[in-house]
Amino acid sequence: MNQTVSEFVKELQAIVVEENATDDPAICASYSRDQHWHFVPAKNPAYVVRPANKEEVRQVLMLANKEKIPVIPYSTGINVRGLTIPVHEGSILLDLSRMDRIVEINPEMKTATVEPGVTFGMLLEKTRKYKLRPAFPDAPLTVSVLVNYYLRGIYQTAAADGHDHVLSYEMVLPNGEVIKTGSRSLSEMPYFRYGVGPDFAGVFCAHPGTCGVVTELTAKLYRLYDNRKVYFIGFDDANTPINFLHNLMHDELAASIRLVDNQSWLKGICGTFDYEYEKLPKFVACILVEGLDEIFEAKDKLVSEYIKESGGGVLDFPEEFKRTFEEESLGGAEKSCMVFGLRGNYHCIGLYGPLKLAGKYYELHERTALEVGIPEAYIHYYVNPIYSFHGQLCYFELDIFYDGSDLEFGEKLRNYNRKQFQRLLDLGIYGWFRPYAGIIEPTVERIGYLAEVWKRFLKVLDPNKIMNRGKLF
Amino acid sequence: MEREEILSAIYHCVKCKLCSISSFHPNEEWLPLCPSGRFYGYQAFYAPGKLEIFREILEGEISEPTEGLLKAVYACTLCGACYEKCKQITSVEISLPELFEELREELVKKGWFLDTHKNIAEKIKETRNAYGENYKYEAKSFYGADVLYFIGCTARYRVPEIADAMLKIFDKLAIKYQVMEDEWCCGSVLLRTGQVGDVKELREHNIEEIKNSGAKTVVFTCPGCLMTFEKNYPDMGVELVHSSQFLTRLGDMKVKKQGMEVVYHDPCHLGRDLGIYEEPRAVLKEVADVKEMKREREQAWCCGSGGGVKSAFDDFALWSAGERIKEAKEAGADALVSACPFCKRNLREAAEKEGTEVYDVVELVNRSLEG
Repeated sequence: MNQTVSEFVKELQAIVVEENATDDPAICASYSRDQHWHFVPAKNPAYVVRPANKEEVRQVLMLANKEKIPVIPYSTGINVRGLTIPVHEGSILLDLSRMDRIVEINPEMKTATVEPGVTFGMLLEKTRKYKLRPAFPDAPLTVSVLVNYYLRGIYQTAAADGHDHVLSYEMVLPNGEVIKTGSRSLSEMPYFRYGVGPDFAGVFCAHPGTCGVVTELTAKLYRLYDNRKVYFIGFDDANTPINFLHNLMHDELAASIRLVDNQSWLKGICGTFDYEYEKLPKFVACILVEGLDEIFEAKDKLVSEYIKESGGGVLDFPEEFKRTFEEESLGGAEKSCMVFGLRGNYHCIGLYGPLKLAGKYYELHERTALEVGIPEAYIHYYVNPIYSFHGQLCYFELDIFYDGSDLEFGEKLRNYNRKQFQRLLDLGIYGWFRPYAGIIEPTVERIGYLAEVWKRFLKVLDPNKIMNRGKLF
Repeated sequence: MEREEILSAIYHCVKCKLCSISSFHPNEEWLPLCPSGRFYGYQAFYAPGKLEIFREILEGEISEPTEGLLKAVYACTLCGACYEKCKQITSVEISLPELFEELREELVKKGWFLDTHKNIAEKIKETRNAYGENYKYEAKSFYGADVLYFIGCTARYRVPEIADAMLKIFDKLAIKYQVMEDEWCCGSVLLRTGQVGDVKELREHNIEEIKNSGAKTVVFTCPGCLMTFEKNYPDMGVELVHSSQFLTRLGDMKVKKQGMEVVYHDPCHLGRDLGIYEEPRAVLKEVADVKEMKREREQAWCCGSGGGVKSAFDDFALWSAGERIKEAKEAGADALVSACPFCKRNLREAAEKEGTEVYDVVELVNRSLEG
């Protein structure tokens, strides 16, 4: 850039008013790290800007583009895997938390249109009166709806919601142009993802950085049913429940399904640390059935039958545990964040793959972790099947909960990652949950000419490489 | 606190930011908990952001006292709501308000603090009270009584109706009491603003006076003073109680219910810091009909005046109090009742435009007592 710092801040302040743009080192420091600091080192942005609306976003982007300054969009401040940590000196952190309008809830269309600062909690508060809810990630309900969907689907707490929740959105590009995807580009009805040629909503999603700044997004909402029943079934290994889960998914019987080990996520699912989890079978399948009256009864009957032949045993948990699982699945994750309290921090490799590999992924997780010196007690697992189950689609999480202040352990985790990324790619996965820096590089080496197309695509959209520069190409 | 202990605590925050809202389930309402973050917006004003600032200070990356630094560090009421929520979710053991007090102490060592807070320290040096007042709050005292009422600076000089009410209650209930001939500031405001070095003399004086009084029980209407005596003073071998605890254990005070519908605002020092939630409610129920607000007890919204905020960032303090007044009105209350002179002062100021009455528990008890 060819301006002094203070002049540049003044230009930013002219766009968003003085109190919403700063280069104060302390304010910038507060954006310097997320939980992934063992892998992505702390880095302060040079400026933090808090726009109030699309026009301010547009002006900030055009200014940054002119000066070739990297921009890191940031929504509600719950970030993982270094996604909003700057790579380069002199970056602008674009804090979008002021843009927190729920633009529309349309019960007739079963949709919600939101700005980036809207969290899952905020949205449910407004949708539940229509007996509707968003598809929740198993992340804190303080996270942004728009960003979670835009980054690429989510691993949702309700399997029944399927994988794709985005219908359309508007995005400001680095050159200040605003693009609208799907039916939004043609009319005032932003309720259909396709219909104008290629699926642009998909093309702009899920980059290691971003292609621009999404200022408004329309997403699907899902029904809330009054009839619900919860089962917890214990299994001694990760392979036995595969057939059972397959049956439930194949026949589309359960709204929410999670297979977890008995020492990590289960504590959050049940909502307490205070229980003899160690006495339970090693893996627990958590099943929630819901639906309209007779449909619910029929589903529940079938689920009960599958449970009998599952090879596992029904666990007699307190009613409170069942209620917590319902709340966490259909009302947003809060207690599941208790996993953060196990040892202080968590490391996970999140990936998509087929259910039939569930046992193999776990074996590999255990083998690699033990190889690099990670204690067995730190090794945890999470499987979340997703309808409509074509390709037996599941979200898998290979978790390690550890003490974040233990710097030596950080080195073990880096070793684990180096080995495990390659091994998982060799074993076969559908893809990564998030294409973050570190995991994406060994991956693009394997995707042939697609990598070149991807690179050129980004060059057209963002020739000055300002959108979270340094995250991949 | 040792450097490594502080860094370890900082490294245990995974930035989930659940500390910024009250428990979502089962009511499924989005209710903010962090006044500072909500008012100022930047990540620096939420607990996870402040921890990063602390890290950079310890690691020497922040090397000057910028306006943003001072605001992020001192425009926090140290209300502890973030800690209560974090504790509930993660069982974390190191208190965030204690860490933020450490942060302030660290800044004061470097000479990085606010003139307003320096001035308070100066006033205390000169007058032995935080408001720099030279006159004495007059109260009779019964030499040798078992009960000593520690009035505190704010009840003496800014909301004397609380001290007046407490003294009248003693009289009406025929309880002999002492007040200190020469009560000095307990040092709370200095401790909360990182100026810990100036507290020693105050502490020694107050301890000496209390020991000499022969009192067996010290009663406080100010939770800030009570907490300071509990946590920052050595054990003096006397019982320390809040007025609400003292009144509760008296049993039937023969009070007459006032017919008011009120809500109770939990003062941060009394509730989150000292765990006293039941006694003020029990006393209040004797004299008024008590309605519930959405954010109560461990997850009460702070009135906005603590941690040196009222003196340095009054606009923020009044905004926070205004949010609480709105909540009280939503609950359909005639009045908002607290049990802390700091809360009352700030809430009353914010309530002036709204027409909501604000009281301390002891004021309503005094009104309800015959005699």
